[in-house]
Amino acid sequence: MLNDLRIIGRLLRLARRYRAWMALGALISTVTMLANVGLMAVAGWFIAAMAVAGTAGALMNYFLPSALIRSFAIVRTGGRYLERLVTHEATFRLLSELRVWFYQSIEPLAPARLKHTRGSDLLGRIQADVDTLHHAYLRVLVPVLVAMAGTTVVTIALSLYDVSLGWLVLAFLLLAGVVIPFAMRRMGERPGSALVEAWTDMRAAVVDGVQGMSELRVYGAASRQAQRIDDISVGVGVAHGRLSGLSGISEGAVGLCASFAMWGTIVIAVTLVTRGTLQPPDLPMLALLVLASFEAVGPLPLAFQKLGETFAAARRLFELVDAEPEIAGRQTPSPHPRDTSIAMSGVRLRYESRGSWTLDGLDLHLAAGTRTAIVGPTGAGKSSILGLLLRFWEYQEGEILLGGHDLRSYQPEDVRNLIAVVSQDTHLFNTTILENLRLAVPDADEQSIVRAAQAAQIHDFIVALPDGYNTYVGEAGVRLSGGQARRVAIARALLKDAPILLLDEPTEDLDPQTERAVLDAIDRLMAGRSVLLITHRLAALEDRVDEVLVLESGRIVERGSPGELRRAGGRYAHCQDYLLERSSDAEPTSSPFNGGTGDA
Amino acid sequence: MYGTHRQSMNETDISAPLSVEGSKATQKWLRGQWRLARHSIVLAAGLGVLGGVLLIPQAWLLAHAVNAVVLEHAELAQILPWLWPLPAIFVARFAITYASARVATRAAIIVKEDVRGRLVRHLQALGPTYLHTRHSGELAVTVVEGVEALEPYYSRYLPQMALVSLMPLALLVFVFPQDWWSGLVLLVSAPLIPLFMVLIGGRAEQLNQRQWRKFARMGAHFLDALQGLTTLKLFNASRREAQLIARISEDYRISTMAVLRVAFLSALVLEFFATVSIALVAVLIGFRLLHGEMGFQAGFLVLLLAPEFYLPLRTLGTHYHARMEAIGAAEQIVEILNTPFPARASGHARPSLANAPEIHFADVHYAYAPGREALRGADFVLGMRRVTALVGPSGAGKSSVFNVLLGFIQPQRGRVLIDGHDLTRLDPDHWLRHVAWVPQRPHVFEGSILDNIRMSDASIGIEAVRAAARAAHADEFIEGLPRDYHTMLGEHGQNLSGGQVQRLSLARAFLKDAPLVLMDEATASLDPETEALVTQAIARLAKARTVLIIAHRLRTVRGAERIVVLDNGRVVGQGTHEALMFEGGRYARMVGAHDVLPPLVQRLL
Repeated sequence: MLNDLRIIGRLLRLARRYRAWMALGALISTVTMLANVGLMAVAGWFIAAMAVAGTAGALMNYFLPSALIRSFAIVRTGGRYLERLVTHEATFRLLSELRVWFYQSIEPLAPARLKHTRGSDLLGRIQADVDTLHHAYLRVLVPVLVAMAGTTVVTIALSLYDVSLGWLVLAFLLLAGVVIPFAMRRMGERPGSALVEAWTDMRAAVVDGVQGMSELRVYGAASRQAQRIDDISVGVGVAHGRLSGLSGISEGAVGLCASFAMWGTIVIAVTLVTRGTLQPPDLPMLALLVLASFEAVGPLPLAFQKLGETFAAARRLFELVDAEPEIAGRQTPSPHPRDTSIAMSGVRLRYESRGSWTLDGLDLHLAAGTRTAIVGPTGAGKSSILGLLLRFWEYQEGEILLGGHDLRSYQPEDVRNLIAVVSQDTHLFNTTILENLRLAVPDADEQSIVRAAQAAQIHDFIVALPDGYNTYVGEAGVRLSGGQARRVAIARALLKDAPILLLDEPTEDLDPQTERAVLDAIDRLMAGRSVLLITHRLAALEDRVDEVLVLESGRIVERGSPGELRRAGGRYAHCQDYLLERSSDAEPTSSPFNGGTGDA
Repeated sequence: MYGTHRQSMNETDISAPLSVEGSKATQKWLRGQWRLARHSIVLAAGLGVLGGVLLIPQAWLLAHAVNAVVLEHAELAQILPWLWPLPAIFVARFAITYASARVATRAAIIVKEDVRGRLVRHLQALGPTYLHTRHSGELAVTVVEGVEALEPYYSRYLPQMALVSLMPLALLVFVFPQDWWSGLVLLVSAPLIPLFMVLIGGRAEQLNQRQWRKFARMGAHFLDALQGLTTLKLFNASRREAQLIARISEDYRISTMAVLRVAFLSALVLEFFATVSIALVAVLIGFRLLHGEMGFQAGFLVLLLAPEFYLPLRTLGTHYHARMEAIGAAEQIVEILNTPFPARASGHARPSLANAPEIHFADVHYAYAPGREALRGADFVLGMRRVTALVGPSGAGKSSVFNVLLGFIQPQRGRVLIDGHDLTRLDPDHWLRHVAWVPQRPHVFEGSILDNIRMSDASIGIEAVRAAARAAHADEFIEGLPRDYHTMLGEHGQNLSGGQVQRLSLARAFLKDAPLVLMDEATASLDPETEALVTQAIARLAKARTVLIIAHRLRTVRGAERIVVLDNGRVVGQGTHEALMFEGGRYARMVGAHDVLPPLVQRLL
């Protein structure tokens, strides 16, 4: 957990580029605040002096004070406007940069380090948490600078009249500007973080309630979910109520300090007037000056109270930004791959540092231009092989060679440039079909896009849509059927035109006809490429691969051509027999695979 | 005003002009909600006025004390009678400020809880078909941040409105007898301020509402990018995405500043008028003092009170943005609350249904939109205690059959009979109690495995949940997790593989033990061994139930006792696998076309 001081330090460093802006904002703000103090003081002195002159029948030079009042009024009004423009412009520029900074910081973490972080959580961080940081700059940093400058100037000015006046007002200013804010900070911490937590819970509950609504309804749990959101809402209310109580104290306390400081000033000033060391018109002047000077510290208690919320947001950002990526980027250029062969020897991988091995001494060799299938039960580690090859996960032991060079000697991006992937959970973005295809090649021309779509057997479907290639696919592609979405993904992989192709359960969830269309598309995709197919049922693709590897518990237990394996009567053949048994309605007595627990 | 960068949604063009009527209706709705917390808001305003009125004796005592010293050369002891009561007033005002803040927040909390509750329930009533048309990210933003943005409207703006209409009046009543010149200046200048603010505010309001939409769209875009981060990475496109994020953020900043500049300008106007008026009052008082036309005590008193005259107005100026923000947020809330419910079964019949009903689809028609027909006279019977498989190409209407049975959509023609009862006449909640459903992509809720299976129904004990999990063959993987049934899933917990989620969903269905079971290829992501076990379990379940399975694979189909072949919204064949193969219709073609099946299986067909 980062402590507050380190968070402050980091927030300041993030704002480094806007140092000059912030300083300028603070300067204008200080001048504005002092102009207001001056305005009040001169106005108080002016009417008292006029009254004294009036009763004495004396002449009085009222030009200077009127000119002062006028200029103070102008500085105060315009200064406030300028200061707001400057500080807000700087802060919002900064926030805009911070969003990009956060995105760029978490990008290397995907997917390994973001496995347990939901999209809604990430959204909360990049949007709401970054927004919350405006508080640190607009409500804390600039006001603290102003308070320090203002307190110094006012204290010195009062001390010139009388030292005891200076001490008195300094004491109250410190009470209002330091003691109370820190007390508020402490007291606001718990309800503040409770509030942030409650909001996180609520966001998750609402997204659950929306995305899981069908199930909630069918299982009669909709009202319970609504009740749960109500309960969280009440929790938010309780934390809010506590914070508002503190805000009430904050708002009132500064006023109270100001009133007592003014009261004390009058008491001291009256004795000074009686002693003759102070002109009578200076009394209202000093009283109003003291009262106005608390504007310098006014915003601080409330601002400090909300620091808990701000720091919690900052912590949530830093927590992910500081996370070590699974695979660090490399500075040295990648070697030139000799071919597209892949060789793994003795590769071991586990996801938790003391967990069981998901891949446990894996040996495999994929010669360039061959098609290999890896089959095995759920949890055998099939998808993990994919994660390794794509440099999403790091392996702990063994060696992987890609094109004759150590996989680790490549820059991860260069590895991914060599590989196209079709899997059951490829994300389609909520934009047009065209944009989704262009993800692979941003500057792809129309011709090559149409060619890819035709090869993927999706072109005819697309042009039949009213908006054609400009049709929006909806959130995560919901407006397309499973088969259509899969074929768009295949077209995208075709467009990428990478020499190595990874297929992860490419026809899962599809009906036989769609499956057939998708397989035809895959056929074209496989032409001239090295292919690694991962599946737990090979059936449909059996005669399209050269070699089958049977993976079980993280190891290859059988290998050969599909025909050889069937004849050999091992596990693969057993698996085929099992299909046969099922077809003749016989119940299997034993199973070819010992079901793994969980596919990571 | 910093909530200008909070939210909202909807796909309409951001630059589209907003209708004035829409905005008016939204404001009316906002005002309407105050009834919920009437007492608290009135009390908060009352306390505010009381605190403000206390300023008058405070200023009066101060003026007396200062006057005595400045003009009558009084000493400290002589003015103490005026000074002593002051601390008591200070403390009283502090207490009132505190109480007023608490009461006002309570009012806002009451409104927020109520609105949020209604919003959630309304969304639920709108149902899954409506949700398909919206971004879940945007909806979440409306329910969470959107409702939150209403807060300052009720806790600050409304009480302040009351204060603005009462406080200056109270002060005027007091100032006029003291000095009618000053009273006149205040009286004339006061209405100018709200006038100018409204002129500027109108523009700000429009900008502000656009801003909310932008915020929501930014959220939707970010969510999409973040959920697809792995895919972006596959294509090495995440750096390019960073540029896009930079562009969207920049665009958002520019429009935020546009809103703020207008807001700051209105504050400038307000300050300017208040300052000029106070200066005018001071100058007028000063010269009449110089000419001996008025007493210093009255002059000083009026000068002390003049800023307080404008203070409620100035505070209202800052809260005016709270109001605009609330209107921006409320626009989205009202839009959802005003969305009419789709045609829903409004029946009230609650017949006791057999524990395995017979279901008859009689000439059922449904179109999602004109020209987008999903069912065109579907006609078939689901026999009791049978497993029926629904097959057909994508778009044949399989999901629509499920949607009808789940009550998500209503037949536009034809009827669905449940043991002879028309489905539309049944109380929907009553009916759904008889249905269990295993969707193709089950949703995992944030919470424990236990709560995910029992759907947070705390009245169901862990033993029953365990039994259901065993039946769905989920027990073994659950026991292997760090905290078995108490392992947290979702946002703060573990993620499960596709097969595990499928079994979790099956466990839900087993636990519900409903007469009708709907499954969307429930065994799709399972490995063969588990699939076999689960298929057996389903067969056991089906012995006393009616089961309908959407089948994508031949294996599932062959396990069914009866097959209904759908194409283009119509039934084109039904019967057993063998009978359908013999008939040689659509089904046989579909299966025959499947020459990619392994030769062994093909030989069997």
